[in-house]
Amino acid sequence: MADFTLTAAPILGGIDKAIAGNRILERDDLALVSIATPLGGDGGLAQALKSGWSLDVPDPTRSTTNGDARAIRTSPDQMLLVFPHATPDAEPHVQKMLNGAGYTTDQTDSWVVLEISGPDTMAALERLCPLDLATFDADSTGRTVMEHMGALIVKLGKDDFLLMSASSSAGSFLHAVETSYTYVT
Amino acid sequence: MIINHPLLGPRDAAEFVNRGDACQIDRPDGMTASMDEMHDYAYLRDNPAGEVRELWYHEQGDRSWLVVTRNTLTHEITSVEMARDVARARGRST
Amino acid sequence: MSQQNRIDGGQIDRTHKLSFSFNGKFMTGYQGDTLASALLANGQRLVGRSFKYHRPRGIFTAGSEEPNALVQLRDGAAQEPNTRATTVELFDGLVATSQNHRGSLEHDLMAANDLLSPFLSAGFYYKTFMWPKAFWEKLYEPMIRASAGLGRLSMQEDPDVYDHGYLHCDLLVIGAGPAGLSGALAAARAGLRVILADEDFTPGGRLNAETYEVDGQSGADWAASAVAELAAMDNVRIMTRTTVYGAYDHGIYGVLERCTDHLKDSAGKPRQVLWRLYTQRALLTAGATERSIAFGANDRPGIMMAGAVRTYVNRFGVAPGQKVAVFTNNDDGLRTAEDLKTKGVEITRIIDARNGDTVVNTTGRHGIHTVHLNNNRHIEADCLAVSGGWSPNVHLTCHHRDRPTWNADIAGFVPAGDLPPGMTVAGAANGAMTLAAAIVDAHTKAARIAADLGTSKAPGDPAKASDETFATAPFWHVGESKKRAWVDLQNDVTTKDVKQSHKEGFRSVEHLKRYTTLGMATDQGKTANILGLAIMAEAAGQSIQDTGTTIFRPPYNPVAIGAFAGRARGKDFRPYRLTPSHKWAEENGADFVETGNWLRAQWFKQPGEKGWRDSVDREAAQTRKSVGICDVTTLGKIDIQGSDAATFLNRIYANAFLKLPVGKVRYGLMLREDGICYDDGTTARLAENHFVMTTTTANAVTVFRNMEFARQCLWPDLDVHFISTTDGWAQFAVAGPNSRALLSKVVDDLDLSNEGFPFMACAECTVFGGTPARLFRISFSGEMAFEIAVPARFGDAMIRGLMAAGEEYDAVPYGTEALGVMRIEKGHAAGNELTGQTTAQMLGLGGMVSKKKDSVGSKLSERDGMNQDDDLRLVGFKPVDRSILLTAGAHFLTPGDPADMTHDQGWMTSVAYSPELGHSVGLGYLKRGKERIGEQVRAYSPVRNQDIMVEVCSPHHIDPEGERQRG
Repeated sequence: MADFTLTAAPILGGIDKAIAGNRILERDDLALVSIATPLGGDGGLAQALKSGWSLDVPDPTRSTTNGDARAIRTSPDQMLLVFPHATPDAEPHVQKMLNGAGYTTDQTDSWVVLEISGPDTMAALERLCPLDLATFDADSTGRTVMEHMGALIVKLGKDDFLLMSASSSAGSFLHAVETSYTYVT
Repeated sequence: MIINHPLLGPRDAAEFVNRGDACQIDRPDGMTASMDEMHDYAYLRDNPAGEVRELWYHEQGDRSWLVVTRNTLTHEITSVEMARDVARARGRST
Repeated sequence: MSQQNRIDGGQIDRTHKLSFSFNGKFMTGYQGDTLASALLANGQRLVGRSFKYHRPRGIFTAGSEEPNALVQLRDGAAQEPNTRATTVELFDGLVATSQNHRGSLEHDLMAANDLLSPFLSAGFYYKTFMWPKAFWEKLYEPMIRASAGLGRLSMQEDPDVYDHGYLHCDLLVIGAGPAGLSGALAAARAGLRVILADEDFTPGGRLNAETYEVDGQSGADWAASAVAELAAMDNVRIMTRTTVYGAYDHGIYGVLERCTDHLKDSAGKPRQVLWRLYTQRALLTAGATERSIAFGANDRPGIMMAGAVRTYVNRFGVAPGQKVAVFTNNDDGLRTAEDLKTKGVEITRIIDARNGDTVVNTTGRHGIHTVHLNNNRHIEADCLAVSGGWSPNVHLTCHHRDRPTWNADIAGFVPAGDLPPGMTVAGAANGAMTLAAAIVDAHTKAARIAADLGTSKAPGDPAKASDETFATAPFWHVGESKKRAWVDLQNDVTTKDVKQSHKEGFRSVEHLKRYTTLGMATDQGKTANILGLAIMAEAAGQSIQDTGTTIFRPPYNPVAIGAFAGRARGKDFRPYRLTPSHKWAEENGADFVETGNWLRAQWFKQPGEKGWRDSVDREAAQTRKSVGICDVTTLGKIDIQGSDAATFLNRIYANAFLKLPVGKVRYGLMLREDGICYDDGTTARLAENHFVMTTTTANAVTVFRNMEFARQCLWPDLDVHFISTTDGWAQFAVAGPNSRALLSKVVDDLDLSNEGFPFMACAECTVFGGTPARLFRISFSGEMAFEIAVPARFGDAMIRGLMAAGEEYDAVPYGTEALGVMRIEKGHAAGNELTGQTTAQMLGLGGMVSKKKDSVGSKLSERDGMNQDDDLRLVGFKPVDRSILLTAGAHFLTPGDPADMTHDQGWMTSVAYSPELGHSVGLGYLKRGKERIGEQVRAYSPVRNQDIMVEVCSPHHIDPEGERQRG
């Protein structure tokens, strides 16, 4: 089968959809790698992140970014690194930088990542997200549940958010987001 | 119901899963405990009308286990702690 | 039809005429009308029939407290019963019909019930339908069912959509009357994030209905300017057509917004949104509700609350009658007369109970015509405005069980103080019954809340208004009335019912309520309860204070079930999880089954196959003969890392894991702390500190949760971390004698020979020239088998690649049914066997539970009761008559024993037709099963009507020595 190679397919086909001047975009250009802090290894991990990625360790409810990659706090001893990366070797790529300072797991395929933006985004999120987004500023994050699906939300800027949810239910998640926009526009 | 997560602030109880009495932290060592001790640990719970300490898991959140002190008569929540801190304070380690 | 009762003034837009129909009659009204005001404008006094006696009823109030004017709105599938005409906003093309009558509204055949009223008194059905017993099913129940309920459902699916949402604020102000506006202004000016909710479509409350002045303008104008000021502030959200229906724990309020109910067509947008509102504080400024006086025949159309009369006159420009009489116990009655006179409506008489004048009876067919006074005089009137005083709207204060206390000064119940935490009550809802007092009260309290919450901005000054007179003398019912006097109009409860219930010994208000059904209709007795309590107090010879009051529950007003459901209807009831090969499976004839949220292929139908068994038999047979491929992505996968990962696993699994070599997989058994088996799966060691666990599909979430519990609460200083990778890897089982040959074409540079990659080996590798993959040599089918995983984004390509590689071996895809067949043939336990009472002993895995270590559940699994020699054991079964299909759930009996629980020997857990063996095979639990191999027992299923003999055998129906999977 030497002539046969596997082609990656974005979970939602790389959807880029406009609804009344708002945009729903699948960010299939991003790789996701979780980094767990070894017991007592906070300092070492912080240092590795800083030197390898110029990233600060994010506090709870926060993310940090170096303009390219973003570290999102997901648990007291776990964060999610999100960065543009095309090939399925994101985890070894990150581990090489960390050199054992954190336990890494590839999460690229576990999540669907949507970037939603536009003037009705806050109104649409009001129908989806139980968190008080008025208290969010850029880089704020929260993990919560939307339409019965676990979800991670990151504020990128005004009316601009990343939403992540389980890749297996990506279709239902997209439907929930689309429905919210449709109902408020 | 709202649980004021020590790290994340107020979160709707819908994000959490309840596991009951926080006494479940005090698990006896199965190699040294008597059958009666293990039995009591697994089955016996106080059922007070008033203050209870319960384990809540932030399943749709940061996956922390919390110890929530709640009054069953008023539903007032008076304290929320990270269960890991509580466990360590009670002498649990490895 | 002309709007013959339309008069000057009001806040309606006369340039915007609207057409509507009531019972097929076409009428007109104006923008700004309610259905009730438009009906009154058109002279339609009779609008419905009462619940029990089918008495003619008219419009009684001008708000959501309405007990009488319940109508069916719209038609076809959108038809909605029991909507209150007093809150329905008129729109062009509105269609309404009256309810609760057989035949026409005017000639209701059920009106005969009124003549039977002596037999239909309080508790009549408790008494009447007791005997004869045989009548219940044949006569009473059908009769009650036929006459029960008010409106009728369309019996079609609700065509509207509904939605849910979340709101957050510092202060929720409930009610946008004078107090609410005043409070909202103070809080908003002070900088709080405020949500102001009101159920009306125009904020202002009584300001729109009265002729008060505020800040030198008309009340309505001041309300409009207050709303404009608030609307211009970023920190304020004004929600009209919005009812706060419930106060829940920790500052959560249930809020229903009616978004498109006032439109003819919702254009696909949600009709209503149910909001879950989170707030630090709430200011309840819900005002007060006027109550009636019980006098003879006080339920006739045209008899109306005095405050409602003022609303229709002042706000809607409608005279509810041409000749209006007023019956009052307070100054509001006088104000009503003033307002009517100003508008040129004739007042035929003011009957003031404080002067000893009362109404004893009314007459008039389908509406009041004559008022009968206690001095034997009769007065002609087509409208009687009644004011029995005002009751503070304490409903939401009761939602955490506060029981309001009696305030004699205002003759009403006020909140007692044990309020839902964070709630403050102001204005008339708290007993500040006059305008200026309410405005100042709300302002002061809102300003205090703002200060409490730490704002430093000034709340401004309260609006200026004068206090109207509020002289009220409690007066509840006219004792000398000979005719029935209604207390609760919606549930047809009369003064006689209340007195009778007291006479029959129902002394607590809670019993009174339940026995008479007082206050138990959809209006929760908003205009009725206090009357009932007062009459009961009088009958008992005690004060109202001592009699006490019932309390209110959510919802404040009815909420449509559709609003609670929100989007969760049909296919949107819950999310679906799709496997990476879903699209391919759809293209290849898969029939899907829901397993939890997952949709899994259960079989792949081929042309010519008549039923599912054809497909399943083929898939299982071909897999055992050559090779089959199954998407097993749904199994829970947990990535486990850390220097203590092995130690941790050793405590989570009942069997040993500490010494699992790198590159090996081990079957693991998980117990609950009580020693019962709850999950099993395999765990692979990819590196010294790196494991990948699989769980059953069903328990993936629970296992993860329990592992986090163990990690954080039991052994908080172990260095171990996990994260779910269930969705991250597309995993396929490749099973059958040709599985190795197939995979050799797929996997790059890995020796798959039995020596190079033996049973229970695992490796990280690549496939198809470089795509990262994980390979596990594990078998659920009992065949030589592998599971191969690739990142999920390659899953679709992978299944196509595997099928292409398998073409030369006639590889088949197989679904969950064939998977089930093969695991039953092989004797592997699954969900059917893990019942929540299953011990390791029962599974024949007792030896796996290590006694050399402490693991969750190991200690309690040693209990004597779980280790009896005569316990159930998992064994196999086959029918003695091989042509019979076994039945799951059948119970085993020793031949000759009676079929009862005493002689029960166990039960069949799983059955399947084995294409390999050519007969049905089963697994089940049988007492001392292992010792009974070869014995014949009776398998008895009274539910499935089967009673057969089965032969006990090894659970491993095929390849008991495991040669195939190791081969």
